Formats: sequence, structure tokens, C-alpha cells
Amino acid sequence: MIQVSQLQKTYMSGVRRKPTNALVHVSLHVECGEIFGIIGPNGAGKSTLLKSLLSLVRPNSGTIKLNGFFPSDLRCRQSLGYLPENPCLYDNLSVNDHLIFIARTANLKNPLAQQRIPEVLAMVGLDHVRHKQIRTFSKGMVQRAALACALFTQPEILILDEPMSGLDPLGRKMVTDIIRAYNDQGNTVLFCSHVLTDVERICDRIAIMDRGQLALTITPQELLDITPDVRGESPLETLFVRTVGAGGQQ
Amino acid sequence: MRGVYAVALLSFKEGLRHRVLYGVLLAALLLMGCTVLVSGFFLRDISKVILDFCMATVTLGGLTIPFFLAIHLLAKDIERRTIFTLLTRPISRGQYLIGKFFGLFLITGLIMLLLTGGVWLCLWGGEFLFGSRFFVTVSWVSIVAALFLSWLSVLILNAFVVLWSTVTTSSFLATLLTLFSYVIGHSIDDVVRFLQVEVTMIKISDSIRMTVDVVKYLFPNLAAFDLKSAAAHGLSIPFTDVLILTTYATAYIVVLLVLSTLFFNRRDLA
Repeated sequence: MIQVSQLQKTYMSGVRRKPTNALVHVSLHVECGEIFGIIGPNGAGKSTLLKSLLSLVRPNSGTIKLNGFFPSDLRCRQSLGYLPENPCLYDNLSVNDHLIFIARTANLKNPLAQQRIPEVLAMVGLDHVRHKQIRTFSKGMVQRAALACALFTQPEILILDEPMSGLDPLGRKMVTDIIRAYNDQGNTVLFCSHVLTDVERICDRIAIMDRGQLALTITPQELLDITPDVRGESPLETLFVRTVGAGGQQ
Repeated sequence: MRGVYAVALLSFKEGLRHRVLYGVLLAALLLMGCTVLVSGFFLRDISKVILDFCMATVTLGGLTIPFFLAIHLLAKDIERRTIFTLLTRPISRGQYLIGKFFGLFLITGLIMLLLTGGVWLCLWGGEFLFGSRFFVTVSWVSIVAALFLSWLSVLILNAFVVLWSTVTTSSFLATLLTLFSYVIGHSIDDVVRFLQVEVTMIKISDSIRMTVDVVKYLFPNLAAFDLKSAAAHGLSIPFTDVLILTTYATAYIVVLLVLSTLFFNRRDLA
């Protein structure tokens, strides 16, 4: 379960320390076993929110709890998997090396890790390049390798930042299937994406963020009720344009 | 400890596969090989010339680690966001930095050990070519002590890379600051001695003296670790000196790593 309350983050940029509000009083609650999608224009604060959950970014105020633990508590990261936006892995190492590292940090015994590695690599379709260096991978393969790293310890909470970026349609379908299968096991998925159709298709709840604020949270059913008569556009696209557009005009 | 071990091992593996390392090893071994041939021109000082050049090459080889590899393994890790793979695991930022330092500790140790093997080969080659009568003054205890101290000074620089990588946002700046630390560390002793000598006609202001005093206490005296020429001349290096310098280096590294952790804990990795 993810609980975020009154989260605020201001970045100070430039020589004059000009403040930029990345998150403004963001509160959200994601239940266990839920797929929660966050959408929003560039600079809306989606990635900052996800990085705050992982303690990569320290919020100015507000509280976050993941399965009852604060993000800075190392115990909470045992049950967490993260796929960053534009993932970058160690070029000189293989995906096998990365997974062994993760197994070590998770205190996974070697026989168990050796059994799990082919499983997770087969899941993302990289079992044939297990020992190849990451430098030889295409962008899509790196994305899948990073997803394998995120899934390796079978975390209870999976946080994905733009999981479909750099993937071809087949790759996108594969990731969607993985997210669904993973969620079917009762795990929680929180992800942000620019691909509205994917979000609409797989999420139990969707939040729209705009300029650091959580503009609204909606379920797919509520979405159909609010925007029933749209021609040519997906209901989420209509709502997104309406919400973000309205915010932009203020 | 598990986190430190995992990060150290990952960094060691990543460092070992870096091409810079092999370039450095090859260049250093070639240089050493040439030294043996060239030393024939220095009749009675053959062993001194071979040792001088070879030990300088070992130090040079060790120095490439902080300036090329350590920056790549740490500052670029933060710059390129590969760090996310590590910090989203149950590893604290302090464990990450200490793990990285130990990874560099292992790489530097391995490189300098291999190059010390090169020194042995060069001495053996020298003896083979010119006869053992030129090598009677060679003291392996002094050579090992001098190279060990040289390794300690490289480790201090590695700790500086850790510090500068945590306080700056670019790898270039981290490299530059490490270079400054190296230059200050090697020259501060000379500057202090110069200021202690009263020279007529030259008036040195109190503010300069005070600045030098502050710098003297802030930066390590890396020149103190340079005992290569003593070893090359076959002089003995007292064990107490080695012990004091080891304690000094350890204390300095610990302070730098603690400071790095304090700074890094406050940093946003946006």
C-alpha cells in the first residue's frame, strides 16, 4: 500500500536559486493489488513523485509510507521494484551480472538466484543474451533488462516510470502483459506514462497531474461516464486535454 | 555490510572490464621494458635508474585510477543515473559510497600489485643483462614499503574523488577538483617550508600565511607518501614511518568518506 500525504517539493535552480514547484500538496492512496497510472504533461511532477517514493528525491514537506515504512527505511526497499525513465545500466556488465548484484542485495541464496535468473529473463525475452554486455543491447533491450532487474525479487510494489518508452509494439504488449500478470498475483503497480491508451487499458485508477498538482483521480468506469460521446478520441485523451488545457488557461 | 560488499564487487567487476585499465597496464609495462634497455647508458646507477623509473611508472599507473576510472565509476554513475539501479535496492547512500570506495581499493591494489610484478621483472631483466654487481644495494623491503605508501596516496585521491563526486553535479568538475587536491597535496609541504624561511626584501602578507595554514590542515600532505627515491637509493624506510603514514591515510580516508556521506545524504538525485 502506498500512502502519500501533502507532499511538497521545490527545486532551487540557477545561481539565483530560483524556486520551481515540482510537487504542490500532493496526496494519494494506492491500495494493495491496484494498478495506478499517473499521466500528465512534461514537467508535471510525475517523475519527481516517483523519485520521492524511492527516496531519491527528498521532499520539502509531507509524508510517504510504503507498506507502512518511510521511503528512507531500507526495509521498504526490499519489497520494491523500480524501472526508471530512460534506464541506464552498467555498459561493461551483462544483465546476468546486474541480476546477481540484485540477488546479493536481497540476500537471495545463490542456488535460488541461479534458478530465478533464467525465469525472469525469459519473461522479458532476454534469456538468449544473458551473458552479453549491456553495451551491445538496443534501447528496447536495455529497457527490458531494466524491467528484469525491477521484477527480479518479485517485489510487492512495482514503480515504473515510462515503462513503454523505446519499445516497439510487440515490446509494449509484452510489458503490458507482464504488468497484468504481475498484478494478478496481488501486487501493486504504480506507473506513469505518456501513452494514454496503455494507461486507459490496464489501470484500475488513473491520476492526472499538472504543474505539480494532482488535478484529478478517476476509474476507467467513471471515465466512460464523464466523457461518453467523444468521436475519434479516447475518453482519457479528451479528459486529459480538458483538464490540462483548463489548468493551462488559468 | 551486505550492501557494501555487493556494491564493491559490482564496481570491481565494472572497473576490471574498463578498457582504460588495459591501456594503462600495457603502457606502463612497455615503459618499464624500455627503462631496462635505457638504464644501460647510466653505468654505475643502473639499479637506481631502473628502480626510479619503474616505481614512478607504478605510481603513474595507480594515479590513472582516480583520474579516469574512479571518475567513471562514481561521478559518471551519478551523472548517467546508473546509480538508480543501486540506490533503489536496500542500500543506503553511505553504503553505496563506501562500497564504491572499496571497489576502487581493490582495483587500485590489483593494478599496483601487477605493476610491482613488473618492477621485479625489470630488476631481474637488469641483472640478467648487466650483471648482479650493479644490484647489491637493492632492498626489496624498501621498495615494497615505498610502493605501499604510494598506493595509500592513490587511495586518498580515490576518497577525494568520492567527496567531489558527491558535492558537484558534473564529472568534469569532480576531475578538476581532484586534480587540484593532488597538486595541493604534493606542493603544500614545499610552500610551508618556503614561508618558514625568512627572505629579506620579500614581504609575505599575513593573510597569505593564514590561507596556507588553513590549506595545510585541510588537504593531506601527499608528498610525505613519496619515498620512492629513498627506496631507489637502497635506503631503509623505518617501519614507524610506514605505520604513522598508514594511520594518517586511514584517518584521512575515513573523514573524507564520512563527509561524502553527509553531503550525499542531502542531495537530490533528480
